[in-house]
Amino acid sequence: MKYKPYLGMQGKKMETLKLKRAKELESIAAQLRFHIVDMVYKAQSGHCGGSLSAADIVTALYFEIMNIDPSNPAWKDRDRFVLSKGHACPVQYGALAMRGYFPVEELDTLRKLHSRLQGHPVAGKLPGIEVTSGSLGVGFCEAVGLALEARLEKASWRVWALLGDGELDEGAVWEAAQAASKYSLDNLTAIVDRNGLQNDGFCDDVMPMDSIVDKFRAFGWETMEIDGHAMTEILEALQKAKTVKGKPFCIVAHTVKGKGVSFMENEREWHGKPPNDDEYAQAVLELKGVRI
Amino acid sequence: MKERGADSDFAVFESDIGYSTYSYLFGDAYQDRYFNFGIAEASTMAAAAGMASAGRTVIVCGYGVFLTMRALEMVRSFVCYPNLNVKILSSHGGVTAAIDGVTHQATEDIAFMTTLPNMKVLCPCDPVSAKKAFDLALETPGPVFVRLMRDPLYELYPESAEFHMGGSHVVREGRHITIASYGDIVFQALKAAEILSEEGIEAEVIDLYSIKPLDYLAIMASLEKTGVLLVAENHQARNGVGSSIGDYLARKGISAIFDHIGLEDTFAESGDYQGVVDTYGLGYSNIADVGRKLFSRKG
Repeated sequence: MKYKPYLGMQGKKMETLKLKRAKELESIAAQLRFHIVDMVYKAQSGHCGGSLSAADIVTALYFEIMNIDPSNPAWKDRDRFVLSKGHACPVQYGALAMRGYFPVEELDTLRKLHSRLQGHPVAGKLPGIEVTSGSLGVGFCEAVGLALEARLEKASWRVWALLGDGELDEGAVWEAAQAASKYSLDNLTAIVDRNGLQNDGFCDDVMPMDSIVDKFRAFGWETMEIDGHAMTEILEALQKAKTVKGKPFCIVAHTVKGKGVSFMENEREWHGKPPNDDEYAQAVLELKGVRI
Repeated sequence: MKERGADSDFAVFESDIGYSTYSYLFGDAYQDRYFNFGIAEASTMAAAAGMASAGRTVIVCGYGVFLTMRALEMVRSFVCYPNLNVKILSSHGGVTAAIDGVTHQATEDIAFMTTLPNMKVLCPCDPVSAKKAFDLALETPGPVFVRLMRDPLYELYPESAEFHMGGSHVVREGRHITIASYGDIVFQALKAAEILSEEGIEAEVIDLYSIKPLDYLAIMASLEKTGVLLVAENHQARNGVGSSIGDYLARKGISAIFDHIGLEDTFAESGDYQGVVDTYGLGYSNIADVGRKLFSRKG
């Protein structure tokens, strides 16, 4: 998995290269999805649905967008990724391993005793985890604190926070949204994984959010809505995030919970259930491109 | 904070009570390092954790009742668990916010904060010890909770007094009974000691300004001398410092004439400070009464 940045060319040739790169990232995302299902199967515990829905976004961030150096996880000027929907940590663990932060084999230790891959992300245990998160709403507040620190340091690093749509039920999210707006944190990008499902069912039934972009806009944020599985749209939105001035930026990415595994897609029960042997075998076949 | 702001680069987080905690004095001097999150203690604490995770020391100011309860999970999972340099300056400890009523009285804060792994807890009782507690909090790695009062009461310590994490001070020497306390109740204990002294009972009064770690050695040394130990605190009797010391005595198999005073499974109410502490048994007259009874058991 070689990291290839854009070449910065103009015109048609650049468009072709962009498409080529998007294709490469799609295949990386497919590999990441395999790791998600594989580690949750081996742990017999964990959250597939919300990890799979975020796989394309997380791939774009870790393999294209973020300014990071896996060989130097403590690099002062690195971008910070905050997984506010911490239960989806298989997607982050997978991406970190594929980027070389730690050996891919270590993914097999997810949720096991003495593992660095805790049930929810824990800072200080695993390289690449910036803050402890998983209590919904809190990671986003921490991201605001990090963005304020970058501002205070007059540093160029950016903060990328990934939130769930169910997570938006938490009041602390809106406290933090206000603070980000008050301090004009244009170094902070929130990406909402809008997969439409939460633990107890459809978000629209559990706690209707109506328009998330309208809400963030009312809180003083610049917003954008995208298809969270269309790699070119994701890349465009994340690139735009780097250019927004004077306001924090929220990308609402419409996604499918369980994306990539047919029987997990849009099914409430796959929020936090591990696959059994048969389900695992079918999922692996599907993720390797053989639909049965 | 304002004094220390010149040679230390900590940030201060506030939740819209800067004019009550006087954190605005720091904010006026160091605007770039002062963040007011509005009336939102939970996100204030979590954002402090976020900034501290990048290496900066963050001071969070507020009322104890909100910081230790509304933001308790943020303190536990996101400050204490990652062992971050977040220092909590918690005003209105115990019923020192007597006049404001129960919603503003932090009478369970010591229980919550001392229970959290990695957390250290200080409770100064006067202006000098409060300044020194702040310095201790700054120089001690990891989270520190400093319990403060709503209003300053008296001055006890000279500028030259020394304080350290895990320390205590004998603020009155005596040989008949030991009264251990912290914060505002130190002064109630001193007054109780005067009353007892008139009756010929000489009480030793210890200021347990470091609540976690607690100076068990000093407490035991005094107990060895007097044979009687009374702990008095502005907190629920349950799960406070008194019950911790009782637990310590039991686990060490130390037999002693011992009791502790705190709120007895009750909320307080609004009223003037001395009226409230007297009504709920935290005042000097009840401390003297209980001390007298304990002393009489000595035989």
